[in-house]
Amino acid sequence: MFNFFRRTQLSDRQERAVERTLQQIRAQRRARFRILACIDGTDESYEAVRMAARLAPTDDCDIIVLYVRPTDQGLWSGGLQVKLARQNMLEAGFDLPGIRDLKRALDVLKEEGIDAESWPTEIGHQDAWDAAGDNKVEYKSPKGRNVVLKLKTSPDIASGILDQYELGPYNLMILGEPSRWRGNFKAVFGSGIVQQVTMLSPCSALVAREGSAKKRGFFICTDGTSRSMQAVRRSAVLAQAVGEPITLFSVATSEAGRGAAEENVENARALLKAIGIKAAEIRVSIGKPASEIIAAGSDYRIIVVTDEGRSTWQRLLRGSVAYDVVRGARTCVLDVR
Amino acid sequence: MAQKISLARDSLQAHEPAHRLSRIRRQGYQRWRLLRSYFSLAWLYEKRWFFIAMLAGFAFMNMPTPPGLSHEGQIVLAMSLVATILFVTEPVPLPTVPLLIIVGQVVLLKLDPNKVAQSLMSDSVLFILGSLMLAVAIVKQRLDKRIAWLIVRLTGTNLFWISFGITTVCGILAAFVGEHTVAAMMLPVGVTLISLTSNDPKKVRNVAAVLLFSISYGCSIAGIATPSGGARNAIIINYWQQFYYNPADPATWRFLVDYIDWMWYAFPMFLLRLPLVTFLLFLTFKPETTDLSRAVARLRTQIERDGPLKPSDYQAIFLFFIVILGWVFWSGTLGLGTVAIAGATVFLVAGLVRWEDINSGVNWGVVLLYAAAVSLGVEMKATGAAEWLANSMLAMLSQFGAAQGLGLWASMSVLTIAVSNTMTAGAAVAVLGPVVLNTATVAGDDPLTLGFITAISSAFGYLTAAAQPAFTIIYASGYLKANDFLRIGWKMMLLSFILLLMLATFYWPLIAR
Repeated sequence: MFNFFRRTQLSDRQERAVERTLQQIRAQRRARFRILACIDGTDESYEAVRMAARLAPTDDCDIIVLYVRPTDQGLWSGGLQVKLARQNMLEAGFDLPGIRDLKRALDVLKEEGIDAESWPTEIGHQDAWDAAGDNKVEYKSPKGRNVVLKLKTSPDIASGILDQYELGPYNLMILGEPSRWRGNFKAVFGSGIVQQVTMLSPCSALVAREGSAKKRGFFICTDGTSRSMQAVRRSAVLAQAVGEPITLFSVATSEAGRGAAEENVENARALLKAIGIKAAEIRVSIGKPASEIIAAGSDYRIIVVTDEGRSTWQRLLRGSVAYDVVRGARTCVLDVR
Repeated sequence: MAQKISLARDSLQAHEPAHRLSRIRRQGYQRWRLLRSYFSLAWLYEKRWFFIAMLAGFAFMNMPTPPGLSHEGQIVLAMSLVATILFVTEPVPLPTVPLLIIVGQVVLLKLDPNKVAQSLMSDSVLFILGSLMLAVAIVKQRLDKRIAWLIVRLTGTNLFWISFGITTVCGILAAFVGEHTVAAMMLPVGVTLISLTSNDPKKVRNVAAVLLFSISYGCSIAGIATPSGGARNAIIINYWQQFYYNPADPATWRFLVDYIDWMWYAFPMFLLRLPLVTFLLFLTFKPETTDLSRAVARLRTQIERDGPLKPSDYQAIFLFFIVILGWVFWSGTLGLGTVAIAGATVFLVAGLVRWEDINSGVNWGVVLLYAAAVSLGVEMKATGAAEWLANSMLAMLSQFGAAQGLGLWASMSVLTIAVSNTMTAGAAVAVLGPVVLNTATVAGDDPLTLGFITAISSAFGYLTAAAQPAFTIIYASGYLKANDFLRIGWKMMLLSFILLLMLATFYWPLIAR
């Protein structure tokens, strides 16, 4: 009777050993800079892979390319499960949808100088929602760097991406430019995949846009709060690692606030100087924060904003500069958490 | 200082997701977060059509009973309204709808639970059950490449003729064993030819569209050709028999439609559209290349490597033809359903398919769906709801001069096409059948003609990937985009509609029984 309520049939000692192993794996992963690049086969989504390659310059960085395939369901197929047709295809030696796209992602990584195909591989399979399940190919470089191609199945794509985070954790999630991004009110009733993932992602999220390759520099915004200063420091470390110049930016809503805004960027500059990072430029502007950031930052490769950590309802009532920038910018935006 | 910086430690942080929720593991935590984001209004909004359907049904049931309609009829109509809204908008899994219908019949109509249970099973439901099991058995034989090779040997290596050959062969097969079976079986053939033509699917996108649509349209246009081509055909045959056939009255014997009778009426509709499909596909998609010789050469290599047909393959082909002969010659006495069930049984006995494969390959929810829809249809007739609806519809149509003849046929066809574009064809026929047949009776038209028009029109749902079983299956290959279905679909729909009316006007009177 007591055993009925146990989560596991393992003994306590075995359970502790499992826990320890899991903790070790997590600790190992946390010692690495792990980027999750999500693709859906569109050209926009490969920008995410390209950006992942550029933001992972050293051997302590791993790239995980993820394609989430909606679960096969059979009611609309006249009672014959779609998985039967899928099984037939697999037996005939055909790829699942998504494999082609993951292979193309590998080519994109090669173009960016990460030739993972020549590394030793490990293949993994896990039973999931349908017959084909979750599949992954892990490429391990001799220097310890990992590139993983993962084909995941899920009833809902956004939830599949968020589930994948749980298998991480990851330092950064990169997504391609969304075809639509709903306003704060409409988002209460539902939103697109990129928007949903960006809103719910536990780690920092970067929305990659085409054309940013020709631009240079991290455009890091701060409002002087301790939260945003943390974000400045962490994103500046990334900028330094990938060799991008840093521009610090602050917005005052009126002329009266100019002094405070200047003080914010000066403080940020001093903070970076203390850890040995030099800001190439500092800028201050007057106006509405989101539109000023979009106007000034769109010439840079990446705009960095700090997530306010607001829920859907709080965003509806108070708005969110971070989301307004992610929505409106014409370049990549990194939403730091 | 800068040299000591570590990206993992000092840059963006990988937050521990289960830090404070260690007991709620991996998936649970994230799902909880997602659920929290849906909670409140968002969840209600997602399920809005369920609540709207329930409110609409409740309101319809409680409004004053219209003259000429019994209260039971009003309840049945309310249930049909709720079922239709749920079929179309899908706020809940579709098998939930038949469950609701069953509960509604007992709770709202106060019917005897045993009678409701009995009304769920009929020969047409047995046919659906048996043909789905047969479908799995046939798909499992993996004869697709052989069939493809047979096609290519007849047609040569030009895409136009290969496309025509695929449409023809898929059509002939689908006419007898159901479109979903052939689509699932032939899908690997289409993908083989595409992938052997080019390694980059984007370079042969239009070739892919032509090949895959050849399969799906071949299946789709033939699904109405014989009674065993689809559930909708068996359902309408069942309605004719239940509503009009009286063994004591020889004048009603014509409503006992057998396999051959059906083919006389509907097979020409398949033959007429067959040559047009390939033309339409080429006009719409304009393939990048028409020479598939490279793909055909590789296909030949694969066939040679597979070796000659095995004894079990011959066995399967033999049994397949026996089942077709059974349908053609014995379905009048044994029933379509019994022949299908017998066929599936023989495949199991011969060891050509495992029960586990059948069990996992059939979506049993669909059987439930058809069973409950037919049961509701019978209840519509029994309570007079169908007749009242028919009268109201005729009164409306008479204002446009469409209460009889060609106008009535066209209206019923348009109604069926509209409904079948939004829900599965079998369910559309099950719900609309009693109303259309009653409309024919009230208008003094022939229920056979209008029944055929409804059954055939229900196969004209060409606009979306979800409208036809064969479409859903080829869409699963990942080679097609959702709007490809619309690009070709509207042309095919218009053409089929015109051809059907021409057939009803000029051909059916010649063979009228």
